[in-house]
Amino acid sequence: MATEPLTDQTTLQGPAAWEAEAAREKVHGIGPWRLGARRLRRNKVALLFGALFVLLVAVCVAAPLWANNVAHTTPTENHLSDTIQVNGETKNVVGLDGVPIGPTWHGEFFLGADPNGRDIMVRLLYGGRNSLLIGVTAALMTTILSIVFGLIAGYFRGGSDAVIRSLLDILWSFPVVILGVALGVALALGGLKIGPISISGDSLLIPIFIIGVVYIPYMARPVRGQVLALREKEFVEAARAQGAGPLRIMFTEVLPNLASTILVFFTLLIANAVLLEAALSFLGAGIQPPNPSWGTMIDDGVDRIATAPHLAIVPGVMLVLTVLSLNVFGDGVRDALDPRAKIRIEH
Amino acid sequence: MGKMRRRALVLLVAALSMLVIAACGDDDDGGGGDGGGGEAKTGGSITISETSQPDYLDPALSYTVNGWEPLSTVYTGLTGYKRAEGQEGAQLVPSLATALPKVSEDGKTYEMTLRKGLKYSDGTPVKASDFEHAIKRVLNLESGGTAFFLGIEGAPDYVEAGKAEADIPGIETDDASGKITITLTEPDGSFSNVLAMPFASLVPGDTPFRNLTESPPPGVGQYKITESVPNRQFVLEKNANFPTNLTDDPPGNVDKITVKIVKNAQRQAQDVISGELDYMQDPPPADIKPEVKAKYSDRYEEITTASTYYMFMNTRVAPFNKKEVREAVNWGLDKPALARLFAGEVTPGCSFLPPGMPGYDKALDVEDCPWGNPNEPPDLEKARQMIKDAGVDGMDVTVWGNNDDPTDKVTEAYADQLTKMGFNAKPKILDGGVYFQTIGNAKTAPQTGFANWFQDFPHPKNFMFLVDGKSIQPTNNQNFGNVDDPEITKGIAELNLQPEITDEVAAQWQDLNRKLVERAWVAPYGHRKLATFVSERMDFDNCTRFHPVWNNDYTSFCLK
Repeated sequence: MATEPLTDQTTLQGPAAWEAEAAREKVHGIGPWRLGARRLRRNKVALLFGALFVLLVAVCVAAPLWANNVAHTTPTENHLSDTIQVNGETKNVVGLDGVPIGPTWHGEFFLGADPNGRDIMVRLLYGGRNSLLIGVTAALMTTILSIVFGLIAGYFRGGSDAVIRSLLDILWSFPVVILGVALGVALALGGLKIGPISISGDSLLIPIFIIGVVYIPYMARPVRGQVLALREKEFVEAARAQGAGPLRIMFTEVLPNLASTILVFFTLLIANAVLLEAALSFLGAGIQPPNPSWGTMIDDGVDRIATAPHLAIVPGVMLVLTVLSLNVFGDGVRDALDPRAKIRIEH
Repeated sequence: MGKMRRRALVLLVAALSMLVIAACGDDDDGGGGDGGGGEAKTGGSITISETSQPDYLDPALSYTVNGWEPLSTVYTGLTGYKRAEGQEGAQLVPSLATALPKVSEDGKTYEMTLRKGLKYSDGTPVKASDFEHAIKRVLNLESGGTAFFLGIEGAPDYVEAGKAEADIPGIETDDASGKITITLTEPDGSFSNVLAMPFASLVPGDTPFRNLTESPPPGVGQYKITESVPNRQFVLEKNANFPTNLTDDPPGNVDKITVKIVKNAQRQAQDVISGELDYMQDPPPADIKPEVKAKYSDRYEEITTASTYYMFMNTRVAPFNKKEVREAVNWGLDKPALARLFAGEVTPGCSFLPPGMPGYDKALDVEDCPWGNPNEPPDLEKARQMIKDAGVDGMDVTVWGNNDDPTDKVTEAYADQLTKMGFNAKPKILDGGVYFQTIGNAKTAPQTGFANWFQDFPHPKNFMFLVDGKSIQPTNNQNFGNVDDPEITKGIAELNLQPEITDEVAAQWQDLNRKLVERAWVAPYGHRKLATFVSERMDFDNCTRFHPVWNNDYTSFCLK
C-alpha cells in the first residue's frame, strides 16, 4: 500500500498534523524514533541551529591546531613584553599603559590580546572547549542522576519517594546561580574530598560537579512524575504478573518510555549548563584561572569595555550562539519526538 | 585586614614618595597643590566619590585609605603632619599638643601638653584624659590599630581584662594642666609617628565603646561629619570650632564636601569629566585613563607613593627554602612586564624600602639592582639554569593572589613567568577580603605569591617589620615568607631604638634594605603611583595637594 503524500495534509498544521501523521504511520508500522527523525528533518530551523552547534563544537575541538600551527602560542602563555610585526610595523602586544593590542586579523593575535598579552583567539577556542566539555559532562551527570532518582522515587514510592522528594525540594528551593556560586567558592578554595577521591580546587571536575548537582531537581522531578504514571500502565502490570523484578521493570519497561523526554531534557540541559558555567566563571566560582572559559573571558573584558570592547563581546557572541543553537535544536527535538510535551527548564 | 591596611599605608607612602620624587627631579612633582602660587578661594560645596564605603567612619577603627583620607580632616591627634606636599608633608609636627613629645633618655617615656582652649566640633572642651579614652577605644574595640599601642605599659593587660573603663597604667593625664605622659615597656623610635595615626586622634571622654560609623563622634578637625548613610554617602561640613592657631594645619577651603559611594569606577570618571563629581578617590580605570591623560591632563596627575609591590617566597616551604631558588626567581622576574599590568601606575624597581622612606636606595631601583636593571627584561636563561641546578625544575608551585584588579592578572603573569623558569606553576586566586588572612596563616603554608605594602607612617620600621624574624606568628602573620635572617632581625631591633632618623641611622636602614634584597629573601618589583583627577570647576593648580601621608588632602580642595 502506497503511503499518502504528506502534501495532502496541508489543512492540518503543527501537532495536529503530526498526530494525524502518526496515526497513518502507525498503520504502516513506522517506529516512533523514525517518525521523530522524519519530523526533525522537516524542521529546517532546528536543523540549521543543530548544524551551527556542530560547527561550534568542531571549531573548538580544533583549538590545538590553530594554537600550534597558526597562533604559535598556548591559551595560558603571557606575552606582556613581546612585540609583533603587523603589516611591517612593530607593535607591543601590551602597551606600556597596559592597553593590549586589538585584532590583527593575522595568525598571531587574530582577535587581539587580553591584558596579560594572551592570544584571545586561542583562549576563545580553548575556552569553548572547556565550556562545552563542562556543559556536556555536567548535563550527562545531571541526566544519569536524575534518571536514577526519578526511577527510584517514582517506582518504589513510599519512604524512598519521601526522602528523594525532600532532597530535591531542598535543592529546588535554592536559586541555581546562588547555589552554584556558594558551592563554587567553597570548592574552588578547598577542593573536593569524597572518601579516597580528592579533586583540587582548580580542576574542571569542580564546575562539572556543581552544575551537575544543581540541575538535578529540574529533571528528576518530571522524570519521577512520568514514572509514577508509567508504573500503573497495563504493560508494567503485565511484566509484574510475569514475575519481573523491580530492576528489570524499571530498565526494560519504564525507561524506554522515558527516552524521548530524557533526550529532550539532555539537549536543553547542555545549553543551561553552558550558560551556568559562564555565569559561575564570570563570578569567579567556575573555571579557575589561568584556564579560559567564555565566562572568565567576559569577566576579563568587562573592565576594558571602553577601549577594547571585543574582549567581552567576542566570547559573549560565542556563548549566545551556542546556547541559542542548543535551545532551538532542543525545541525541535522535543517537537519531533513528543509534540504535546511541555518540557522546560525554568529557574 | 592586610590589604586594606596596606592601602591605608598608601597615604603616608604617597607623601614620602612625593618628597623623594621631588628630590630626584622626577617630573611627578605635580602641577597641583600649593605650589601653584595662586590664591585659594574659600567657600562653596563640592561632591566627590569613593568606590566603596570606608571600612569605618570612626577614628578608632578605620584602617583604610578611603577611611583615612576623609577622617584626617575630621580628627586630629597630639602629633600630626604638616599639610604640605612632598618631603615637607612627611614632617612630624605638634597638632593638639603644644610641642612634639619630650622623650626620656631611656626612650620609654613621652611627655606632652595639650593646647589650651581646644573644643570639639560639638563645642565640648578637649581634655587631656580624652587621649587615654581614645586609646582605650582602640584597644577595647579590637581595632586593626591595636598592635601599635601594645607597647604602652599595661596595655596588654587592659586588652586581656576586657574592661572598657579600666585604667591603662602607662598613660597618665592631668586635665587641669593638660599634661599627658605615656610610658612604654620598650623604646620605640616610631612611637611619635604612631601618635599621629588617626587611631590616636582625640575624641570626647564619653564616646561610647562601639563602632560609631553611622553617628561619628565629634573631633578637632577642619571638618565635622554631619551625615553618614553607609554605602550611600557622608557629608563633611566646616567645623566652626577648629583652632585657627595650628600653623601647620590650616582650615579647609570649601564649606561642604559630600562624599558619595559610587561602585562603578567608569561612571565616576565620566562624572568627573562632565563635572557632576569634583574628584574621584580611586584612579580612573585603565580603559579611560588614556583619554583622561590626553584630554584632561590639566587636571590629572600621577604621584609615586611610598609603597612596595613584591612577591613573597616562603622560606620554610620547598622549593623556596633554597637560597639559589629565590635568587633564580629574582633573576627571572620580569618586572617591566608586571608593571604593564598596572597601566603604568607601577614604577619597576627592586628596593624593598620605597621612595620617600628613610633608607630608600634609588640605585637599587635602577642599574644597581643585584638581579639586573629592573627596567629591562630579566635573565630568564640564568634563572632556568639555576633552577635546574637546584634540582627543582618541573616542581609544582602554587602562586597565591587575590581577585582585586589587577592583582589577579599579576598573579597569573607571575605563575606564567615561574613556568617559563622551569616550574609547573599554577595561580590560586582568593577573594580579596580573605587573602591576607589566609596566606598569613601558618597552616596554609603558601609557597609564593603576591604581596604589597603602603606605609602607615614614614618610618623604615613600618616596612621592615614585614621581614622581621620576630614578627613571625602563626596567624595574621604579615611576614608571609617567614623571613628570618638573624642579622636583619637584629638590625631592625637595634635601629628601632633610635629616637630620631639621622642621616647615619637612615644609612643603616639602607644597609639592611640592601642586604634583604641581595640575599633574595623577597622579590620586589616596583612602587605604585596614585592619581589626582578633579573636575573642571576645581582649581587644580592651587588646590589639589597630594599629601605624603593623607594622600589627596581634602582641606586643600577649592573651587575656581
